[in-house]
Amino acid sequence: MQASGGGAGGAEDRDDQQSSRIPACQSGSGSAEGEAVRRAPQGRGGPGRGRAVMEAAVARPQGEQAPGGVGSAGDVAPLAVRPRRGEVVLVPFQSPLEADMARRSLLPDAQRHQGLIRKEFAVNGSDLLVRWTADDLAFIRLSMNPFLDQLSLVIRNIWSLGLPPRQSRS
Amino acid sequence: MPAVLGFEGSANKIGVGVVRDGKVLANPRRTYVTPPGTGFLPGDTARHHRAVILDLLQEALTEAGLTSEDIDCIAYTKGPGMGAPLVSVAVVARTVAQLWNKPLLGVNHCIGHIEMGRLITGATNPTVLYVSGGNTQVIAYSEHRYRIFGETIDIAVGNCLDRFARVLKISNDPSPGYNIEQMAKRGKKLVELPYTVKGMDVSFSGILSFIEETVFAMLVEITERAMAHCGSQEALIVGGVGCNVRLQEMMETMCQERGARLFATDERFCIDNGAMIAQAGWEMFQAGHRTPLSESGITQRYRTDEVEVTWRD
Repeated sequence: MQASGGGAGGAEDRDDQQSSRIPACQSGSGSAEGEAVRRAPQGRGGPGRGRAVMEAAVARPQGEQAPGGVGSAGDVAPLAVRPRRGEVVLVPFQSPLEADMARRSLLPDAQRHQGLIRKEFAVNGSDLLVRWTADDLAFIRLSMNPFLDQLSLVIRNIWSLGLPPRQSRS
Repeated sequence: MPAVLGFEGSANKIGVGVVRDGKVLANPRRTYVTPPGTGFLPGDTARHHRAVILDLLQEALTEAGLTSEDIDCIAYTKGPGMGAPLVSVAVVARTVAQLWNKPLLGVNHCIGHIEMGRLITGATNPTVLYVSGGNTQVIAYSEHRYRIFGETIDIAVGNCLDRFARVLKISNDPSPGYNIEQMAKRGKKLVELPYTVKGMDVSFSGILSFIEETVFAMLVEITERAMAHCGSQEALIVGGVGCNVRLQEMMETMCQERGARLFATDERFCIDNGAMIAQAGWEMFQAGHRTPLSESGITQRYRTDEVEVTWRD
């Protein structure tokens, strides 16, 4: 039973402003950080079930270029000259539904420390993409650790309850 | 007959409760207890909650004898409280709401205490003394708001007791306030200066008696003032510190002198629990409240009087 307009997946979600298209990250060729691949614990149903492989790619410092945001590529307004650091995390899910579900669960609290760090979410197929942008890499690290804990909880939550049959088929 | 599932985890207790039409069907809870001399930090508390919340959810459903099909609404604590624990619980509530395709309701923690207190005690329109580790408020209902008549201007009374316990390294199991109360019961003499030494031994009960009598007397005074202002003949104590028997005795004395009636609940419902969130969520659900996912972010500073109480006349 569900009141009209009250569904968790209802149309009144006004979070599209946060679901900016995250531009393809630049691989940090030659960067000290390189790539860090961390695999989430395996769930039920074998290795492929809900496995989250997280790739952290270090974006080059943006310098005068503002971080990519809402709007098509090219509509980027320059900011004052200061280095900006960015990190992108890509989390593959088993389906677009699961990826979007994770996005909706994690997004509402994403702007709690907006003054220091910017966090953007997007879903591309079955992949959840999260991009951090901040002046200081330390802020990104501080934000990413709890995010990964929350992501792990959401994944375990989906595993433990499972998608209902009608949602699995969609 | 709607059934509401409620998640609570704003401090060191995490609970999942189920309420249907005024009946608490399940209310399991876990407490994050730290070693003596320490308090609970947000990151560690959130880690504790993340580790147990999914098991608690299953426990609640089993205890209630319900499945996801039987649940009509998912309620969770939107605030106030500690940020990281609040977020950990909120993400689960959002995920469950999506998986089960149920509406979501963000509940004010303080109002959860009040609505559970009203449900359990049957008090109709009491002046409320809300006392816990995180909050100390005297509240009265008026024109669709729970109005704050008085509150602490710095730390909550439970926080005061907890810090005192920390200094003395009193055990946090099951809670520092409970252990202070038990030790204070053995105190027979009220001393003006909290300093008692006997040779190589020390006696703490005098100190603890002093602390309790003083802070509780302050609370009784402001509650009485609010009751006088509102012309209220009922007082309801809610919040973890409300379990304290000495506080209840002192409030009872004041109420008797005024010809008023005192209501209080036991530790199942005084201390933070999931069923109180479910109960407040049930009232809100019946009144047509809903929380869209986009507006379901947690609020560390969520005032009791921010909520429009449309479910009361």
